Amino acid sequence: MKEMMYYNINDGYPESIVRGYRRSLLTSSQYGTLTQSETLDDIKLQLSATDYGNFLQNEPPPLTTGVIADRLTERLVSEFNYLRRNSVDPLSKFLEYVTYQYFIDNVILLISGTLHERDPADLLHKAHPLGVFESMPALSVASNVQELYNIVLVETPLADYFRGCLTGHDLDEMNIEVIRNTLHKAYLEDFYDFCVNDLGGTTGVVMKELLEFEADRRIINITINSFGTELSKEDRLRLYPRCGKLSRESPAKLSAMNDIDAVKAVCDNYGEYQHLFRDMNRSERTLEDRFFEQEVRLNLLSFHQQFHYGIYYSWLKLKEQEIRNIVWISECIQQQQKERISDFVPTL
Amino acid sequence: MPEMGTLFRSELMCRCQLYLPPEAAYNCVAELGELGLVQFVDVNPEVSSFQRQFVSEIKRCEEMERKLRFIETEVIRENLDVDQDEIEPMAPAPREMVELENSLTTVENNLTEVNTNYVALRKNHLELTEYKNMLKQAEIFLSETRFNFQDSDETTRLLDDPEENGVSDVKDEHASMKFNIVAGVIDRARQVAFEKMLWRVSKGNVFIKFSDIEEEMEDPKTGNTLYKSVFMIFFQGEELKTRVQKICEGFHAAVYPCSEHGKERRERMMGVNTRLEDLHTILTQTTDHRHRLLLAASRTLKSSYVKVRKMKAIYHILNQFSLRDSQRVLIGECWMPTADIPAIKSAITTGAQNAGSSVVPTIERVPTTEDHPTFNRVNKYTIGFQALIDSYGINSYREVNPSVYTIATFPFLFAVMFGDAGHGLIMLSFALWMIIAESSLEKKRDISEIFNIFFGGRYIIFLMSLFSIYTGLIYNDIFSKSLNIFGTNWSTNMTFAANESAPLKLGETLMLDPKNPNQYTGVPYPFGVDPAWQAATNKIGFLNTYKMKISLIFGVVHMSFGVILSLWNKVSNRRYHEIFLEFFPQIFFLLFLFGYLVVMIFIKWLMYGANYADPFSEHCAPNLLITFINMMLFKKADVDPKLEGCHTDGMNYEIYMYSGQGGLQKFLVIFAVLMVPIMLFGKPAHKIYKRKQEAARRGTMRDELLGGDAPQEEEEEG
Repeated sequence: MKEMMYYNINDGYPESIVRGYRRSLLTSSQYGTLTQSETLDDIKLQLSATDYGNFLQNEPPPLTTGVIADRLTERLVSEFNYLRRNSVDPLSKFLEYVTYQYFIDNVILLISGTLHERDPADLLHKAHPLGVFESMPALSVASNVQELYNIVLVETPLADYFRGCLTGHDLDEMNIEVIRNTLHKAYLEDFYDFCVNDLGGTTGVVMKELLEFEADRRIINITINSFGTELSKEDRLRLYPRCGKLSRESPAKLSAMNDIDAVKAVCDNYGEYQHLFRDMNRSERTLEDRFFEQEVRLNLLSFHQQFHYGIYYSWLKLKEQEIRNIVWISECIQQQQKERISDFVPTL
Repeated sequence: MPEMGTLFRSELMCRCQLYLPPEAAYNCVAELGELGLVQFVDVNPEVSSFQRQFVSEIKRCEEMERKLRFIETEVIRENLDVDQDEIEPMAPAPREMVELENSLTTVENNLTEVNTNYVALRKNHLELTEYKNMLKQAEIFLSETRFNFQDSDETTRLLDDPEENGVSDVKDEHASMKFNIVAGVIDRARQVAFEKMLWRVSKGNVFIKFSDIEEEMEDPKTGNTLYKSVFMIFFQGEELKTRVQKICEGFHAAVYPCSEHGKERRERMMGVNTRLEDLHTILTQTTDHRHRLLLAASRTLKSSYVKVRKMKAIYHILNQFSLRDSQRVLIGECWMPTADIPAIKSAITTGAQNAGSSVVPTIERVPTTEDHPTFNRVNKYTIGFQALIDSYGINSYREVNPSVYTIATFPFLFAVMFGDAGHGLIMLSFALWMIIAESSLEKKRDISEIFNIFFGGRYIIFLMSLFSIYTGLIYNDIFSKSLNIFGTNWSTNMTFAANESAPLKLGETLMLDPKNPNQYTGVPYPFGVDPAWQAATNKIGFLNTYKMKISLIFGVVHMSFGVILSLWNKVSNRRYHEIFLEFFPQIFFLLFLFGYLVVMIFIKWLMYGANYADPFSEHCAPNLLITFINMMLFKKADVDPKLEGCHTDGMNYEIYMYSGQGGLQKFLVIFAVLMVPIMLFGKPAHKIYKRKQEAARRGTMRDELLGGDAPQEEEEEG
């Protein structure tokens, strides 16, 4: 009731904008015409009839998938920044939280890129624009975890999350992966706490669902990806975000698993994850795709409620999925792989 | 010429099929486009846009547009005026497309080439300028530290603080410790983060000096102004050196070699200065070349834009055609005003002739039951009024077009409210200026959106000003003052009698009596309001009730007129039930309440007067506002015993003006209120009834067709 009365004082405008953005997501018929395209120019033509408009009109030919992806991301970023600029606390805080995941990805991208001696300028170009921070270029200076923290991350919002991984010494492949998962774990738990306990209300209810799913996805992925690695049971348990449904109820069970059937057996106890492993061998859908489908479903649901911040998160996720879809379709066209063109996850 | 009076209704339209020979189709559509009288209908809506026939041509046009946009941005950046061509070019012939494409490509390539050179040169220039500034600052830094060193030599040596010592030791070649210097230029905005990062990486073991470069620099690519600072970092050790370099790289700081020896630095400085001078000459030449190139491009830019866009539009229309009869004919469908068919025919014939086609294109009318589009033929005088009406909603095909009446009513009603001849004159001069300078202003109308609104409505403003002058004269209001043209008919040169017992008081008012022939001639002022009212203390009271009454009269007449216009639509569309369900309730409601009020105004004006004897003297005139309120409330006002003169023959003239008024008023209100439910529910109820009837009819028809055993569910559905 209180939400209903006060929500629009500060958050009415951004909400109307984000709901407008959501309306402009591509529809299935628009996807249908996109998949019929023969060349990338057709894609451009098709997209010009959508909300994207003339966003590719000043690109000199030939058009490439990379250019399309860049422009799409630019669009997303400008829309997101518009929302950020028009928001006040606590929505602005919420939106800031949303960007931390890109922060983490950028940090990991730069460290692992430096490890493989890639060109720093190239790496910076690849970083997601929503997660760019001022001291990012200096990431390549750090040679071990301690330095990474002391030099670069200490004044970023990630500093709190990073404390959990200060034990590792060298930056090798395995450690980077561990750092990534630890950071994401800490971030998810913090964000979960912020949404459920600090914000509460409808936002709490909606974000709880979404973040639990995110956490469970991480748990399942960590479990499956750590089969046959030196990651011990305890290590694994340490990487599991504690806010997921799985980790609250059966973490020990999962951490001990050593093959996919066992994971499946655990997930079968959860209605929403049952279908993830169904017909795994027969269907062409990968686990990742199934997760994406589930994510899209959940995110669409959050638009059914009003007076909450979950829609911003959901819109961003859906838009990202849409970009992945358009890039996928463009890739298929560019590489003449039209038989797989429909293997995307529609956002509506 | 189309028949006169077409503005009263939208024009007669017909659906036509165009049969164009493919080789002449482009020219025919081009001619039609110049004519602007045809609305095309997509005949193959199911075909997706990239599978259509002329997609490649449209893509080529878009590519040309892209090049034009590129050239335009360059031209604008060069601050060149995009020339305004006097005459709009015709759509180019299809074969000219290649020519246009080639010329645009050449210009684009030349421009990119020059730009690349230009950017490279400017980048070089920027770097040299940076280097020059850095060397200049280095000179200051290093000489400063030298002085410091002289002063603090003893103490620092004793304390043996490496950092303090380091700074001063830079120039001291005999010092045991060797210090590295990294110097360069960085964006001023990044300075703080850069410093922080360096401090953190070195754990505080570097010494940094910054100095702003006063000179403004230009970004070689975008031409934006850049603000930079020179930095110098002093530190020890090789390991730190790689780190510092990495950070410099990460922060996009430009690092330049800086020698510790003053002599070497000065030599470098000289070199840089000569190189800068050389570069300057080359840069001016390139700039000139670029300027000439852009100047040439800017001359044809506008016309090229129009040409390309016309071409694109033509192919876009051709995409709505379909190729039939084994590719020998292009068929398209369109709407056109019936009156213009000959003009359209001659246009496509010209098109075919231009293309040198032997086949004559034909137009064939197709009967259709589809809703026809509304087309109101306007000229520069009526277009403003039509736009005004269209902003409220466009009428359906062949409905009465209210904009004809608006030409008179809108400016008039405006003037009734505005009502000042003086201000009207100012408006008139503004409107006249816009009308006289029409052709030159037409080109500038895009410059300001707000001016465009005024310019578009210049004839409306013109009429409004004329009407305002007229009503202003009636109100006798000129710049809120009155003119005494004909001489007032009230005697205002009264003499005040004063004596000692009754002295004249300041601000004393005097009542003029219209019955007294010494004070009023008995003849009204010939035109408008008597100027004597300007000086009266009850001026506002008098004019307000007067204006209120005329506004009511105009308002009710205007609204009734609108309702009557709707009757016209209903009759011509044969929707007779709407006459009873909409028109009559509306007009009754309006006339019985507000129409009656207007009637009362006239009765009051005619019956009562200041020079009439009781019971029709001015004292007895009832207050219409109170009367109307009492009418709605079914209440009778209290009889005022003080107004005895008004009570004769059992009538109270200060309450009711004629006998039986109370009864009539009750009837009118009840009748008017009864109209409300008809207006609300009449039409829906009628619709429901009709639908049921229709369903029943279809049911029986099916009964008859199927010989009695009709399916029952059909009826239930209805």
